[in-house]
Amino acid sequence: MIASRRYRRVLLALAVGLVVSFLVAVAVGAVWISPWATLRLLAWKLGLGSRPAGVPRSTEVILFQLRLPRVVLAAIVGAALAASGTVFQGLFRNPLADPAIIGVSSGAALGAIAVIVFAGSGVLGAFGVPLAAFVGALLTAFVVYRLARIGPAVHVATLLLAGIAVAAIISSLMSLLMSFSGQQIRDIYAWLLGGLSGQGWNQVGAVGALVAVAIAAAGLTSHELNLMALGEERAAQLGVEIDRLKRRSIAIGALLAACAVSVAGVIGFVGLMTPHLLRMVVGADHRRLLPAVLLGGPTLLILADLLARTVLAPQELPVGVVTALLGGPFFLFLLRREGRGARASA
Amino acid sequence: MRPSRPLLGVILVLLVLAQGCARQVAPADRTGAPVAAATSPDAFPLTIADDDGVSVTLDAPPQRIVTFAPSATEILFALGLGGRIVGVSGSYDDYPAAAKKIEQVGGAGDFGVDPNIEKVVSLRPDLLVTIEGGDQWKKRLRALGVPVFTINSTSFDDTLHDIQTVGRLTGTTGPANQLVAGMRADAQAIQAKVADEPAVSCFYEVYYPPLMTVGPNTFIADLLRMAGCDSVSAAAKTDYPQWSVDDLVRANPDVYLVSSESASSPAAVATRPGFDAIAAVTNGRVVPIDADLVSRPGPRIVDGLRVLSQALHPDLFG
Repeated sequence: MIASRRYRRVLLALAVGLVVSFLVAVAVGAVWISPWATLRLLAWKLGLGSRPAGVPRSTEVILFQLRLPRVVLAAIVGAALAASGTVFQGLFRNPLADPAIIGVSSGAALGAIAVIVFAGSGVLGAFGVPLAAFVGALLTAFVVYRLARIGPAVHVATLLLAGIAVAAIISSLMSLLMSFSGQQIRDIYAWLLGGLSGQGWNQVGAVGALVAVAIAAAGLTSHELNLMALGEERAAQLGVEIDRLKRRSIAIGALLAACAVSVAGVIGFVGLMTPHLLRMVVGADHRRLLPAVLLGGPTLLILADLLARTVLAPQELPVGVVTALLGGPFFLFLLRREGRGARASA
Repeated sequence: MRPSRPLLGVILVLLVLAQGCARQVAPADRTGAPVAAATSPDAFPLTIADDDGVSVTLDAPPQRIVTFAPSATEILFALGLGGRIVGVSGSYDDYPAAAKKIEQVGGAGDFGVDPNIEKVVSLRPDLLVTIEGGDQWKKRLRALGVPVFTINSTSFDDTLHDIQTVGRLTGTTGPANQLVAGMRADAQAIQAKVADEPAVSCFYEVYYPPLMTVGPNTFIADLLRMAGCDSVSAAAKTDYPQWSVDDLVRANPDVYLVSSESASSPAAVATRPGFDAIAAVTNGRVVPIDADLVSRPGPRIVDGLRVLSQALHPDLFG
């Protein structure tokens, strides 16, 4: 009971953090919009009052067409990456697992680059490249899964090795395509840098719906993932259909990561760090971890993107640079501290 | 990979040897010179320091030239030396049309942006003209006896200066001076028209998405200033910064220039989130710009200046 009250407090703190970071990220950017103007504009859009006088149309456009969709998308992508990391870490019983492990990131990159080189970045309007990245991510995850499946069983070690080998092959294919690219090298470079710039409500709608479905599915596997922590054999004895769970978790994790990578490019560390970090706070029970991660992941990416677009404003940085540059050292610091704690208590 | 001091010594020795080689090769090919070497104050041997700070010595006007930059190709053609170009960098060397028929030497190296050393050497060039970067392959070529000359234009005036330098280097001082005088006169005529007009608030798009533009120290920014553009990104800290669309909407430029590199049509620009609040978009002043005219520091930059000035002041250039 005490732990559960503490858990509620943690969730509340995370929720407050998310709301505050969301509001700050909407209000702050390359162009200053006063909190008062922001609130009045938001109230107007929500049907609470008339359009505030004296606020130029450009401010309205910046707020509703540029900043709001970007922050919402950052939240969705952050949630998707964090949930994907949680599922993979649970499945592999390994805190180092992240979506890249089964080739999702490299598959997405290959899909995007192939379309850019062979069809051009303008194909299918703004949706050709994200769609190709999405398909590439899922296809690669499927290939890795099939390679690792021997008979009915999928061994985790085989899966990891297959993932590494496939990622290596894909990376060389990418280099090959890039060496043939010529003009398109700039499109490729821009995609590889990633980031949330230039995304509107269309992307939010498309990705948001998919991510919501996948997160709900992830929630349904929480209990079985908990049992997996006891080891495959024990979990099987407790009634978990191991192979079905593996198929499902991989599909869910890959879908989440594919959504994220298709709109935002490769963003490191959020999928790895968020579940790891919050596991230290709320414990390893996935039924507790997943909600915490769904609040923490968005906060993390919203803040990273806020930094990316304000540090050098009006210049911007790719958000992946910020997550890796700040996330990496912070993660290492935590690892060291945790390691010392473990040694002291041993 | 910084070369050690002994290595530098070796390279220096090789460099001296290389120049010796160049001296031996050049006179043998001298016969086929079609361009009037006698009409000008061109005196060989000559030594000129290039923009990398390397002194290049030629004993005679070069007869077999490799260009490794489309701008260098254009300059040599404009000086009447197209017939002496035996190699170009690649498919970007597309102007004038005759350049497309010349052997391509590029596409090597880790990123596919270096010349293929073997191919260059097999063409037996007595001069290679290129732009900044690629110190490693430049060293290797010099060591193999190919004089490498680097031009790095940072502004309109610098480009004119570079054309004259290439003229001296290739024994075409007369044509170079003539070309530069013409370019300068054209530019002055354009600027005379623009000078009385207030600067027009404008934005130059290099890429989208993410939105990328040009910083104040780029060659394009210099042309924009000359054309009377008050650039939104004039205070950028880097050369090709990623730019906030928020800030673009706030700045609300009157003219929006889209580089052909960006491959976006004016219609596509108008459909992007937030862009419909920009004056240039609502007033139909999104203008595509041929990137080759404004990003290749060569003889066509005057055309680039004219195109930019037209986009910014359409009523002045009917």
